[in-house]
Amino acid sequence: MVNGGAGGIGLAVVMKLAGIGYQPIILDVNEAACRETVAQLAETGVKGEYHTFDLTRKDDVQNAMRDILAKYGGIAALVNLAGGTLYAHPIQEFPLDEWQRVIDVNLKATFLCCQAAIPTMKAQRKGAIVNTTSNFALTGDATRTAYAASKAAVVSFTKSLAVELAPFNVRANCIGPGRTATARVMQNFTPERWAGLTDIPMGRAAEPEEIAEGVAFLVSDDSAFMTGQSLHVNGGMVRT
Amino acid sequence: MTGAGQGIGRALALGMADEGAAVIIAELNANNAREVEREIQRREGEALAVQTDVSDEASVTAMMARCLERFGKVDVLVNNAGIFPNAPVEAMDESEWDRVIGTNLVGTFLCSRAVVPTLIAQRSGRIISMASGRALEGAKNGSHYAASKGGILGFTRALSLELAPFGITVNALCPGITDTAQPRANLPPGARLEDVGANIPLGRIGEVEDLVGPTLFLASDAGRFVTGQTVVVNGGAIRW
Repeated sequence: MVNGGAGGIGLAVVMKLAGIGYQPIILDVNEAACRETVAQLAETGVKGEYHTFDLTRKDDVQNAMRDILAKYGGIAALVNLAGGTLYAHPIQEFPLDEWQRVIDVNLKATFLCCQAAIPTMKAQRKGAIVNTTSNFALTGDATRTAYAASKAAVVSFTKSLAVELAPFNVRANCIGPGRTATARVMQNFTPERWAGLTDIPMGRAAEPEEIAEGVAFLVSDDSAFMTGQSLHVNGGMVRT
Repeated sequence: MTGAGQGIGRALALGMADEGAAVIIAELNANNAREVEREIQRREGEALAVQTDVSDEASVTAMMARCLERFGKVDVLVNNAGIFPNAPVEAMDESEWDRVIGTNLVGTFLCSRAVVPTLIAQRSGRIISMASGRALEGAKNGSHYAASKGGILGFTRALSLELAPFGITVNALCPGITDTAQPRANLPPGARLEDVGANIPLGRIGEVEDLVGPTLFLASDAGRFVTGQTVVVNGGAIRW
């Protein structure tokens, strides 16, 4: 299950996981993007499924999860990708409703989706959860007080989840993208500025596929002894 | 693969050989090195045992020359060689401090320095260094070990910046307590290594094979955008 699966990174994650044998279920508020993602999956011969609802509303999450789990009988991996900066302001200008929305989409949605999926994973005594952090959780950034706080919160949430779920053989880790070449990110840059980025040691932003490789690693048995950790995929932009 | 004659290094050498790597077993103990070489050859892989003291500049230079003479290139350096004696600071001989820093940290520097010109000329490669959870949290009677492994983390972050422009990634792995000879030797009388596992979230101490999946991820194309990172593989004992 990929929360935010119709976004730029989400599409790459869904394609990668489908390619290694997972049945992808896309949870995303953007129905048009969901249809596009399912169409791209179909081109590779994979039948994708999407559910469109507000990931920040507990009843919507519980109902959607109940329907999906009833249909499939289980869940191997939950990837919580939905989120983003959404609103950026110096703190004295930050409207409370926008601050709250950033926290809700990045943190609360992750909490609600985990809460809905975990009973099944515990009963299975197997499962992998990947939540999304960010380089900004480590460094902060001016105008991103809400976003940086939400992502650092996701990390601590994930560590706690890891300890709670470990006795049930359910792992929880974070993927940490840095700057990634998605349409949403690139629209903030002129082509000249994008080509002239100097703050990434490897000289370019990540391709969404490179983030997807990290997610695939974290849900696979290759990382079977890793839990409560963060894997940052950022070309050396922030070094942990 | 330095220190590949036993423990984690041996498991990594076998694991990478099973994935098709030709492995240089750079190991101080010539008998152990030959045993691993024979085992890889028995599995129809390719291996070359080269007795090496990673703390000795001439030995490292000679090992590198043998590697290039035989294979003409280097894809991955795994700095795994390490020693872990126990001593409280006030009783620690300067010679023991020098030995631990010399093998664990200076050895990592010497081997990395030896391989870097080849990696730069290739414009490809991976350096993966074995640190330890002790670098993150410390432990009694191992201040030299913790210092050496912490130094590996700083070295890794710095070297990643130097090599990123060439597409070469540099990362560190932090295992936890792993079922190998050195931790067993350090146990108090009557203590059992297995009992330590009761306090670890995933319910057991590490097995040497737990490091193979993460090493392969970092060494492979899937990990091409991960650099300057510390990847912690310890059953959740320390959540980084």
